[in-house]
Amino acid sequence: MSDGATLQPGLRTHFAGVHGPSLPDGGLPRLARALGLPPAGPEAGGGPLALLLAGPAGADADALWQPPFAAWVEVVPCRDAAEDPGPSLRSLMDAAAAADLYVNVTTATAHDLHLGARLLTALTARCPLAGERRGDVELALHEAISNALVHGNLGVSGMKELSAAELDRFSRDLETRLADPVLAARRIAIAVRLEVGGDGQRAASVDIADEGAGFAPDRGHHHDPRPGSGASGRGLDLIGSIADGLEIADGGRRIRLRFHL
Amino acid sequence: MDYGIEVRDQEAVVCLRGRLTFNDHGKLRTLIGEMGQNRARRQVLDLSSLEFVDSAGIGMLLIAREEMANADKQLILRAAGGQVKRVLTVAQIAKIVPIED
Repeated sequence: MSDGATLQPGLRTHFAGVHGPSLPDGGLPRLARALGLPPAGPEAGGGPLALLLAGPAGADADALWQPPFAAWVEVVPCRDAAEDPGPSLRSLMDAAAAADLYVNVTTATAHDLHLGARLLTALTARCPLAGERRGDVELALHEAISNALVHGNLGVSGMKELSAAELDRFSRDLETRLADPVLAARRIAIAVRLEVGGDGQRAASVDIADEGAGFAPDRGHHHDPRPGSGASGRGLDLIGSIADGLEIADGGRRIRLRFHL
Repeated sequence: MDYGIEVRDQEAVVCLRGRLTFNDHGKLRTLIGEMGQNRARRQVLDLSSLEFVDSAGIGMLLIAREEMANADKQLILRAAGGQVKRVLTVAQIAKIVPIED
């Protein structure tokens, strides 16, 4: 939505700079140079910034999830010797430029940051949401992100039987897989596009993608709340009761939510 | 999420505070153990200070209800408000667990 008149077709955000207080020494100038963007602080006041992260550290301040920040991208370590940020960071920044808000971080970082609440902060800084609607949209975002992390990237199945043993199994699986460096490094990508319809109605389209095995959505399924019907399985139903649009794509690795704001 | 337990003559009251999400699996497991071991037959979860609950949190409350039933105890949810109350309603939890104002 920013700076629309000067953007190329398909581009929505023209970044004015990159910020990265938690990057290792020298990391920010090198990445900024390679991306062709100046290093900038939030006080610069010159347009949207991308926050480059090296993990969850230093990204938990609310101010870092509000304007001018419009993208949050985790940098893969181990490129410290290279001048080039690699095709991956460049392509992530291209994806960020095609969205109004963009997040691309590892599973470990998303988990530690409580990403649903962070995304709500970023969204409501652009489109304030009142009382109940705010809590409902937070729940839908949190459920979709949790599904992508827990069931998608970590491949942990939901709690089925109503038993403490099943809760133990869920805990064990979650902790074991978060400790697996390959699974913890899988990415979650979130692209938000803010739109104004012909009737003046504002809406947000939120696209959440993971790198897990996907799943087959059980269309038309409604959760049976009787005891014995399982401890999990309510997430998608809750999302569906809140969002104004819900599409599942890419074999279950991508969910697109639409909210009237 | 944090909690505190007060065991009275007839009931134990557990006050849940903050946000109850899938991430609280360890704490819920500990809490279920503590509720199973205290002497009260009625285990009341006071939700008035709980700000947010997700679907996994609801699932863990249902596990607590089942474990209390297995121990011949009763789980009661009390004083939910705001987002927590709405989620309990949408998920139709009142059909399974007694909910008090």
